[in-house]
Amino acid sequence: MADITLSPDRLQRTQTPATRRRASLRNFKAQGLAWMLALPALFLMAMLLLGPLLAVVVLSFTDYSLGNASLDWRGLDNYQAMLGDDIFYKSISNTLVYVGIVVPGSLLLGLGAALLIESLTRGKAFWRAVYFLPVMATLIAMAIVWEFMMSARFGIIPQTLALLGFPAKNWLQETATALPVLCIIGIWQSLGFNMVLFMAGLSGIPRTLYEALELDGGSSAWTRFWTITWPMLAPVTMFVVIITAIRSFQVFDTVHVLTKGGPNNATMVLIYQIYQEGFDFFRSSYAAALTVVFLVFIFILTVIKARTIENKVHYS
Amino acid sequence: MRRMLKMTVATVALLAGSAAAFAETTIEVQYPYAHLFTKTYENIVGDFEKANPDIKVKMRAAYESYEDASQSVLKESITKKLPDVTFQGLNRQRILVEKGIAQPLEPFISKEADFEKDGYHKAMLDLSTFDNKVYGLPFSISLPVAYYNMDVLKKAGYTGELPRTWDQVIEVCKAIKTSGQNVDTMFWGWNVTGNWFWQALNWSRNNPMTSADETQVNFNNEHGKWAMKTFAKLVKACDMPNNEWKEAMANFSAGKVGMFFWSTSALQKITNDSKGTYELKTDLYPEIADGGGLPAGGNAGLVLATDPVQADAAWKFLKFATSGQGAAQVALTTGYMPPNKAANEIILKNFYDKNPNNFTAVKQLPLLRDWYAFPGENGLKITKVIEDAMQSIASRERIDEPEKVLQEMSEKVQALLPKNPS
Repeated sequence: MADITLSPDRLQRTQTPATRRRASLRNFKAQGLAWMLALPALFLMAMLLLGPLLAVVVLSFTDYSLGNASLDWRGLDNYQAMLGDDIFYKSISNTLVYVGIVVPGSLLLGLGAALLIESLTRGKAFWRAVYFLPVMATLIAMAIVWEFMMSARFGIIPQTLALLGFPAKNWLQETATALPVLCIIGIWQSLGFNMVLFMAGLSGIPRTLYEALELDGGSSAWTRFWTITWPMLAPVTMFVVIITAIRSFQVFDTVHVLTKGGPNNATMVLIYQIYQEGFDFFRSSYAAALTVVFLVFIFILTVIKARTIENKVHYS
Repeated sequence: MRRMLKMTVATVALLAGSAAAFAETTIEVQYPYAHLFTKTYENIVGDFEKANPDIKVKMRAAYESYEDASQSVLKESITKKLPDVTFQGLNRQRILVEKGIAQPLEPFISKEADFEKDGYHKAMLDLSTFDNKVYGLPFSISLPVAYYNMDVLKKAGYTGELPRTWDQVIEVCKAIKTSGQNVDTMFWGWNVTGNWFWQALNWSRNNPMTSADETQVNFNNEHGKWAMKTFAKLVKACDMPNNEWKEAMANFSAGKVGMFFWSTSALQKITNDSKGTYELKTDLYPEIADGGGLPAGGNAGLVLATDPVQADAAWKFLKFATSGQGAAQVALTTGYMPPNKAANEIILKNFYDKNPNNFTAVKQLPLLRDWYAFPGENGLKITKVIEDAMQSIASRERIDEPEKVLQEMSEKVQALLPKNPS
């Protein structure tokens, strides 16, 4: 780095008033150019992100319903209605449960798969492909496959269990098991992606660290993992947690295809409730209010994550 | 400049018009459920264009479902890209009427000389009447009917009359259970749109959903209690599986269920699936009290065009599709029936003689009642409240307290109804 930086005194020597003026003009021009270049992106951002966001916030204070010619200001009515809406509480808690299960589940299993595959001497590519397949497949199509597999009369899972003497039930139709089944599908789907990220992280750990550890006398697999692998994987882990958490918060496809939020709202999650209120019931303003709550949630989480986790991560 | 432009356009139009010998109007039409109706509309449009060479019909890509249909129209009303004729679920008409998107048909009907003779009767028009004005013409109608897998019933030793009451249904259930077949006894379609069968039980006792001014829930009365208790009793005594509707239909189609209470609209598919596997029979929906009825399902055509020329052509098409040969196509190509009297009694007589299973619903036509759409902005949300309540019984969670379920459901629906008469 040092060889291309100008030393301060050399800079001073070359600066006459004229050149300074030229420089500031150049600076101004460069800044103008930068803004000009950024303008299309800024414009698009305002149109596609900030504009709609603002519209949603404004809508949430009105009584607008899709197709209406006019709307009235209703203040906090929608938010008040939310406080008395049992389905809202249910969808919040279901979403949190889903995130709480899928994030650690797919993280640990993804890491486990990565370590196991990494330890293989042959067939690495094969297993990598096997675990990565669910990520490549369209989740909607896969959800339909799961639907068939869970069907009480034809599905392979209930029928296999029936052979073992359990009652053949479609767990997606049972209030107690529907959400856990969706969590399992969620883990199944994101495991492969997390695994690939972890494998990339593993290959980035210098061999020399392990050799150094061995010289220091630490040779058990556990010490190697705990003192080198895990800390060195911290940046990857943080990335995985963030990505999986955000994706889990947005769970929609499997709910839409498999349960539609049922049975008895046992799988009602925030995004699905927003969809239902907005596009099934046309209560657009209420859906907007729910969206605002959802955004606040995501925002808070992002801040917490950025503050707490980022500080503790060792970037190499 | 503008005047010159206008004149040029007028001249060109005149020349073009004289060349074609008549002015041609193009109307755009959109309908739901391509897999059910593509053939039907193909036939209707072909016949219509032959009979009306001055009108061209452009079919838009079909709506995916009734939900998608009303969603699209609501969106298009903002962007002013509405089709001239749209076909909408019967319980989805009201929202378009309330928002002023659907146009009243009274001006057209008053000009028709033989409207009644063409087969349009009051019960049919009632399905699309709001505030004493007709807004649509029902196109394809379905009613709840009973489907029986006669093989399962015979193996259960049941050879008597098919059930006429719910208690008799339960008897058949018991017979099927004791016969030890690996089948479900029955499935009762509580989850057809989540409130259709709730309305069916209530209509069977002539019990409307709300008070006449639509501000009070009406089903929290004796008839409503009977309805909820009957549902709970059926689920319990028949061991009815808590299936999602697609799964329930697939099971019955495959011959794994004895009795199936459902809409006639599934008849075409189930008939095809049952061929060569088991004997399928449809029969009247059980236990309709004197003066009771059944809610109509299906869809109706609405005119959305406001331009007089377009609207006129749109009306011609809609009338063609809902009467005479047009209406007959519905029965010939789908499991639905046309609500048109003339089409059913004259043109389709032969067809029904040959297909008695299709005739069950026609026999029930005198029972035709409104598929009631709840009023106001929360109308569709109310159907979800009813669905949730029914589900809590179907899933056994609250099967032992139907009266309490009804009580809570009534309170929640009441809170969502408009405070003032509409």
